[in-house]
Amino acid sequence: MLDAIIKAYNEAVFETDKDAAFEVVAQALAAGMTPEDIVFNVVIPAVEEMMSHITKDPDANLAQHFMTAQIASAVTEKMLEKFQHPPETIGQLVIGTAFGDLHSLGKRIVIGCLKAMMVNVIDLGVNVPAERFVDEAIKHNAQVIGISAMMVHSAIGEEGCRKVRRILRERGLEDRFRIVVGGAPYRFDEQLYKVVGADGWAADAVNGAKVIVDMIREVKAL
Amino acid sequence: MTPLEILSAAIAGRPAPRIPVFCNLLDQGAWEMGVSQEEYYASGEMVAQGQLRMRGYYGHDNVWSLFYVGKEVEFLGCNKILFTEGGAPNVADFVIKSYDDIARLEVPDDITAHPAWTEIGTCLRILKQEVGATHPICAYITASTTLPALLMGMDKWMELLLTGPADIRDELLRKCSIFCQKQIAAYRAAGANVLIYSTPFGSTSFVGMKRFMNFSLPWMQKDLAAGGTAGIVYYCGMAPFNTVIRPVMSELGIGAYYISPMADLAEAKAIIGTKGLTCGVIDDIKMIRWTPEETRAEVKRICELGKQGGHFLFGTGIMPQALSDQNIKAMLKAAFDYGRLE
Repeated sequence: MLDAIIKAYNEAVFETDKDAAFEVVAQALAAGMTPEDIVFNVVIPAVEEMMSHITKDPDANLAQHFMTAQIASAVTEKMLEKFQHPPETIGQLVIGTAFGDLHSLGKRIVIGCLKAMMVNVIDLGVNVPAERFVDEAIKHNAQVIGISAMMVHSAIGEEGCRKVRRILRERGLEDRFRIVVGGAPYRFDEQLYKVVGADGWAADAVNGAKVIVDMIREVKAL
Repeated sequence: MTPLEILSAAIAGRPAPRIPVFCNLLDQGAWEMGVSQEEYYASGEMVAQGQLRMRGYYGHDNVWSLFYVGKEVEFLGCNKILFTEGGAPNVADFVIKSYDDIARLEVPDDITAHPAWTEIGTCLRILKQEVGATHPICAYITASTTLPALLMGMDKWMELLLTGPADIRDELLRKCSIFCQKQIAAYRAAGANVLIYSTPFGSTSFVGMKRFMNFSLPWMQKDLAAGGTAGIVYYCGMAPFNTVIRPVMSELGIGAYYISPMADLAEAKAIIGTKGLTCGVIDDIKMIRWTPEETRAEVKRICELGKQGGHFLFGTGIMPQALSDQNIKAMLKAAFDYGRLE
């Protein structure tokens, strides 16, 4: 039964059909699956499947990324209401769009995937000053600072990731936090994340979630 | 031959001494004129002079009537733009905050009578007067399927497009398409002869092939039906679109394609062949940290891939302000050197 549910759910996600995904979840609950099973054995593997699909398939597209995150986040939210015990979170992320940049789509996709993957996300919004990224990371005891930038000047400029890195260095906080960046400019230059002082990046927002989870685990293992 | 004649020759496949060389310098104009971005973009005369000075200095073929992406939503009610000195302006206040705003959205009957046109019109009048007979004048047209992203934000638009009520989505698209058609007509009448039709949702990087065929293509047909495709350049906001070149050619009849630096240029050229103009585009984000020699090598690669058989143009992406003067010069010199056809 689980295989059939996973297959049907994955198909709904790949076809960006939110209603169909919820229908599969309803059928799974009716058939006796627990909400915990649905999140950990259906939703999270589907996000991971999409990560792999995006990497391998050149035809994977933004609509699929967006709906993967939307569906995963919405289903998880519903299932969490029914959990027997609150789940343990993997860790904390503060995320925002760099100063001078008002784009929010990439950030929203990352957040949707991470919520399903049990990461506690603090969304700082758009046009976020560098100091605030650091202050909020300290306040929320985050492991990772996520900085989205869709424009070249916000990706490489002095007020974005470079400044966050500088503040971390000046305050002696570099061992405590990792910085992950994402956004269109980084896709055009795969080495750009290093130039601006980030620890990691991903070519798309769905895989960005994976990089962030890996970095959270890395920091927690220190 | 003038740059305009060289462009016409490339489109038609007629003999010419070299390929056309386009360079999209926009925000650098404020530096050129010694003013802030906000002051620069407040004046059509300033933008025109900035374009003319930069073209005179670097020697590329084209000038732009585009102020910044987002200027078009000022016709539809947006009155807040975030200017930053290091890069392109952002739309800072979305016109559509709820679905109710879609019903209230009004497309001006005559966009050239709207205050937002005043400075654009001034800019075009100067460009046409100064270089209209000799150089291509570019305009930027946002497709109906992309304009909503500027009106309501990309994430809200994706939400409406993929999960929202179809009647509300279509009402918005209908208004955006009417606006797109009016823009095409207005820019042409004012002297623009290269219309960069920006249609990211016309790329399968944005939507799957099924949605491209059933959604993007029909709306693009509506955008272009009234005015035709003369001077239209297919551009997907730097996203690759080789997968759709064939249906775009057959269904829309567009004759020029601005290929993403992330796409396989050789494949695009093979698909387009002599049926249209292939525009080979340099990755000008990577170019920020290239040496002039590396820039020159990349231009050589692009020109050698593209110019065989003619019907080819060399172009740039968004030309970030972080690019050095030295690199821009190296790129253009290489494009003129390696773009020679005789």
